[in-house]
Amino acid sequence: MGSEDRPGGDGAAPDDAPVAVELDGVSRRYGDTTAVSDVSLRIREGEFFTLVGPSGCGKTTTLRLIAGFEAPDAGTVRLGGRSVEGLPPEDRNVGVVFQNYALFPHMTVGENVAYGLNFAEPPGGLTREERVRELLELVDLPGMADRDPDELSGGQRQRVAMARALAPGPEVLLLDEPMSALDAQLRERLRAQVKAIQRELSITTVYVTHDQEEALAVSDRVAVMREGTPDQVAPPRTVYRRPATRFVAEFVGDNNVFEGRVEAVEGHVEPSDQVDRNIHENAPHGVGSPVETEGSVGGAGNAESGTDAAITAVDVGETVARVRAPGDVAVGDRLSFCVRPENLRILRDAEEDGRDPANVLRGSVASAEFLGETTRVRLSWGDRELVVRTTDPLSGTISVAFDPADAHVFAHERR
Amino acid sequence: MSNRRLDRRNFLTAAGATGAAALAGCTAPGESGDGGTDRLVVGTYSSFIDAPSTSPGAWLKETFEEEFDAELVWQTPDNELNYYVERRAAGVDISADLYVGLNTDDLVRVDGELDEDLFVAAGDVAGTDDVREGLDFDPQGRAIPYDTGYISLVYDGTEMEAPETFEGLLEEEYRGDLIAQDPSGATGRAFLLHTVHRFGEDGYLDFWEDLQANDVRVLGSWEDAYAAWSGGEAPMVVSYSTDQVFAAGEGANLEEHQIRFLNDQAYANPEGMARFADASNPDLAREFMSFMLRPDVQGEIAQRNVQFPATDTAELSEDYAELAKEPPEPVTFTYEELQGSVSEWVDAWERQFAGN
Amino acid sequence: MTDGSGDAGGAPGDAAEDGGTTPGDASDAADGDASSAAARTARDRAERRILPALAAGTVLLLAVLFYYPVGTVLVEAVRVDGRYTLEVLVGVLRDPFYLGDLAGLFAGESPLAVAGRLLGPDRRLGIVGFTAYQAALSTLASVALGLPGAYVLARFEFPGRRTLRSLTILPFVLPSIMVAVGFVATFGDDGTLNAALSAVGLPTVDLLFTLEAVVIAHAFYNAPLVTRVTTAAWESVDASAVETARSLGAGPFRAFRDVVAPQVYPAVLMGAALTFVFTFGTFPIVLALGGFELATVEVFVYRLIRNLEYAEAAALAIVELAVSLGLLYAYLRYEARHTVRSRGVRPLPRHRLLPASPSFGQALVRVGVAAYALVALTVFLAPVLSMLLASVTGPDGLTLEHYRFLVERQRTGAAFQVRPWPAVRNSLLFGVGALAVALPMGVVVAVLTTRDYRGRKLVDAVAMAPLSISGIVVGLGLLRGLVFGVEVWGTRIAVGGALAVVAAHAVAGYPFVVRTVGPGLDALDRSLVESARALGASRARALLDVELPLVRPGVVAGAAFAFAISMGEFSATVVLATGTEQYTMPIAIERFIGRRLGPATAMGVVLLLVTSASFVVIDRFGGETGGL
Repeated sequence: MGSEDRPGGDGAAPDDAPVAVELDGVSRRYGDTTAVSDVSLRIREGEFFTLVGPSGCGKTTTLRLIAGFEAPDAGTVRLGGRSVEGLPPEDRNVGVVFQNYALFPHMTVGENVAYGLNFAEPPGGLTREERVRELLELVDLPGMADRDPDELSGGQRQRVAMARALAPGPEVLLLDEPMSALDAQLRERLRAQVKAIQRELSITTVYVTHDQEEALAVSDRVAVMREGTPDQVAPPRTVYRRPATRFVAEFVGDNNVFEGRVEAVEGHVEPSDQVDRNIHENAPHGVGSPVETEGSVGGAGNAESGTDAAITAVDVGETVARVRAPGDVAVGDRLSFCVRPENLRILRDAEEDGRDPANVLRGSVASAEFLGETTRVRLSWGDRELVVRTTDPLSGTISVAFDPADAHVFAHERR
Repeated sequence: MSNRRLDRRNFLTAAGATGAAALAGCTAPGESGDGGTDRLVVGTYSSFIDAPSTSPGAWLKETFEEEFDAELVWQTPDNELNYYVERRAAGVDISADLYVGLNTDDLVRVDGELDEDLFVAAGDVAGTDDVREGLDFDPQGRAIPYDTGYISLVYDGTEMEAPETFEGLLEEEYRGDLIAQDPSGATGRAFLLHTVHRFGEDGYLDFWEDLQANDVRVLGSWEDAYAAWSGGEAPMVVSYSTDQVFAAGEGANLEEHQIRFLNDQAYANPEGMARFADASNPDLAREFMSFMLRPDVQGEIAQRNVQFPATDTAELSEDYAELAKEPPEPVTFTYEELQGSVSEWVDAWERQFAGN
Repeated sequence: MTDGSGDAGGAPGDAAEDGGTTPGDASDAADGDASSAAARTARDRAERRILPALAAGTVLLLAVLFYYPVGTVLVEAVRVDGRYTLEVLVGVLRDPFYLGDLAGLFAGESPLAVAGRLLGPDRRLGIVGFTAYQAALSTLASVALGLPGAYVLARFEFPGRRTLRSLTILPFVLPSIMVAVGFVATFGDDGTLNAALSAVGLPTVDLLFTLEAVVIAHAFYNAPLVTRVTTAAWESVDASAVETARSLGAGPFRAFRDVVAPQVYPAVLMGAALTFVFTFGTFPIVLALGGFELATVEVFVYRLIRNLEYAEAAALAIVELAVSLGLLYAYLRYEARHTVRSRGVRPLPRHRLLPASPSFGQALVRVGVAAYALVALTVFLAPVLSMLLASVTGPDGLTLEHYRFLVERQRTGAAFQVRPWPAVRNSLLFGVGALAVALPMGVVVAVLTTRDYRGRKLVDAVAMAPLSISGIVVGLGLLRGLVFGVEVWGTRIAVGGALAVVAAHAVAGYPFVVRTVGPGLDALDRSLVESARALGASRARALLDVELPLVRPGVVAGAAFAFAISMGEFSATVVLATGTEQYTMPIAIERFIGRRLGPATAMGVVLLLVTSASFVVIDRFGGETGGL
């Protein structure tokens, strides 16, 4: 795992930190549906790890398996290197914050925070009162101990829930969509606070969210889950730049996905560092293990040959695109690749001449959303749509182009 | 939960403390106690020993214990005789020496249910010869009658004059005027049997059909019926011919407590006592039975149980004889007549009366 | 947290190694007082075993005091003379006397033909059909009478409201003979109602010994049940939910329909389901106020058992049980699908019954409340007052004679006679004992049946069996299964006495706790418990600290019912009591019934007073429900 893709900073767990949470081939079924399917993950001490995915992808179940609210049907959950099979939640030394905070409505804020101290001595030799005061200060709610949860705002409740979960000094903090009930602005402010607290305490944190933007913003690493399994486990930048699957490509941020047959292989190029670095972190859905073990795990097509890449002409229907593809690509193979909207450059009329015609796409503006800094424009391109970002107002028919190196190939199907 | 498997000594202590025998547990009653006193355990129905007005239990116990230097222990299981039937069927010790309060149809029922004998023949009991003609209801000589009651109509004479015959009850002017009981209880059953006696096996259902059409009220227990009658819901009720004994005792207006013997008859309901087959103290049980038939005891039982004595030698006060009415013609079914028939009669009546 | 997680790196693992019996944060405790840590560990151990232990105890108690004894009776339906056969059961099912036209189904007729006859004018209901019919009517009446009561108690503030709510289930404990006395005096030809009607120039009504009288009496018993459970649910509605709806533009009616009603009406339905089950098994009151024409299934079960016709009695009891449990099961399935998740902590503010200057709408509502109060006074208060009156009335007018009888009996009664004071004392002791046993039993079963697993509603329904089974069968079963005992290795083990009575009362009462606590637990946000557990609380601790306080209205209602059941219980007590030393007030009342009912009614009034006081204490002890 390279350091460049790490958000970095003093709080992030070093690569050699011991594994705090490990899931090994864990599955959980409910009747006929499989909520979590053969998941293996390793989360290091002090790491901020996020499970992200659409609803029903198994992220919350995974969290509940770690907390001990659910028992796996197969596989092993390890905390601090030891199996916690059969260990009830109260013995796992985890702190949990729920989506709805689950504050005990019949207790005051102080009683809520102190509840866990009924079962554990306050860390650091503090008295209960001192510990409660310390925690309330940590979450920026000093002097609120005597309030009823009823009297608090949503954001305050969320912070009380954090303080309560942290009070007994858990090994692992589990956060289940703790922001989803809050409005956007508050959410952004609070996630910064959560992140800051996590850094300050260096506490291993597993965070569940359906919001990919949130996931990218706060995490050291992200597992993008689909149908009970992570499609990709990697630092946020890798997930964004080098999605391992079409699902990840489309789920994380806006993206333009193309698929087509290789018409010609036009020449090999030296692989960039970046490609190399990311390969072993990428795993297509259902192939091998997404755990970032050393060695080959069947990456985006070029895993076997490993090193080189080729500029390839791919027939994507409306046009033939030139993309940098894995080196072992051959004519007739099918490739899937994606290009981020910000990499689709809008061409002025003058610019069109002289450009590689393969990577110029012409479409008419179908809709535009003003997002503030930029505008998201959807173009009708043949019978499908392209998403581009622009700072200028656009209308009518326009052309966009992308660099072959900005195309990321995530699936390669041999002829 | 206490394990009530008491040994004999514990049992005696417990029984001595409560006065009534423990109904649970497996005990050997009747054996000679520590002090050499004999023990006699007698099963009966609760109002025989514990009624709000009067009951003979306490007097009998006191007198018997004094005279016989024995201890008398009353048992009053809630399901009465069936309790001992159950014990026998379950193969558990009967736990009592004799039972007081048997009817003819009880005996028929018990004999029909149990393969082995619950009771044994009384044998030679002094005083049996004094039992009045027609009251002896057990052809096998197990049960000896100790008192009898007559089931008749009681009516409020200030409201109406009751009809003199069964047929009269069907007349329009008595519409809705009669409260009876269902045949699960002794009075209801006796009244039903009386109609069978009067109209025959083939006729009683027709009579009841007409009676139902004339709005007779058949309630559950005698208590329900008597309470409804007392509350003024109807002027006539099926009850006992000794009603005025109670009424006079309360100082009530006797006009409101008139007795009517339909067709000059009343159904006699003799109550008997019988010794259990495995009584542990059969001799004392026999002595108790003849004690019960003694003229002075007969008088006391009759008055305290508000029934009629079973013997013609009973010593009764004159007041009592005046208030307790005896029918000119007591009727009853014999054991043989009831055997194999009574349950069908009741069944048929129920199916007709409650058919939906 | 500065050093909390750092020094306890191996804690979860340590706990795992210890087989899950040591709390995970043992290492935190290590730097504290060692002995307090040891005490904590011991307490934790006890805590985590308490729920499984209670569950096992509950199962054992039910097996010994219910399933086995009842089984000894029901088995007779299929075992005749030592041989297993379905003949008797089929015979009952095919008997039109019992099943009416439905019997045709079991006799092999086509369902169409049977349905045709049932829809025809000459339909025959049979005893079972009629019993269901009168139970349905009684249920409707009970809901109609009970629901407005819940509305008044939950939504209005007036002096004596809490006391009134405490006393709602008083009718539950009244022996049928007392109710009969009260009803005859109230609704009889010469009763209070007719006197009142003729006084204001209205035509009198002939209510007694009709189906209507029975239905009203059933409503007397069961409308309070509907009221009590509905009030508990209504008080649990969170005001903020209603306020949210109102703030979103919903009018008061709309807010009621969308927010309050969905949370209240499962409780109404539960009250209705229980009422149906109780009135389906009704027995003495039908014969006391209706007559044999209205005989129900239970009347025949009683009759057959008394006549020692066990096979047919058991078969009929099985049919009765099947109908009751079937209905309960259907209800429970429905309940499971319609649970409303809520976390009501701040109850709706109550209206003052007499606002200073009522608007037209408010005035209209108050007029409705007043009209309801009049009906309630007639149905509930008048019979009770009549009982009171009967207890001080003799042939010559007012008298304290009957109370003097109680005093006299207490002073001079023979040891084998029932005396008032021991009866009062025993009733209270057994009531408290039964409450102490039924509450944990009911809570444990509620917890078990609100977990998600296949068939849990079936388990729930089976757990309700003590409510649905014929009381007569239970009595006989206890006699056979417990009092006579079982022979084990040559030793006969028999059970009886005070503890057995308490246990039997608890078995009879615990289903109420399940029903009043279960839906509340089910509706609680699961993350509350999970939060508590993640914070280190054992399952039992989470239940005690978090769940039960949040469903307090249900717990208090369940406690009151369990106590009421114990106070009113007769059939099991009389079988298990080993003598007058263990007799209770209902038994005393039965013993004191004579030709005149004065002494019994006096004892009945004692029962009423003692029970009323107890209910008030239970409610006060339980705290203001919902107020927290």
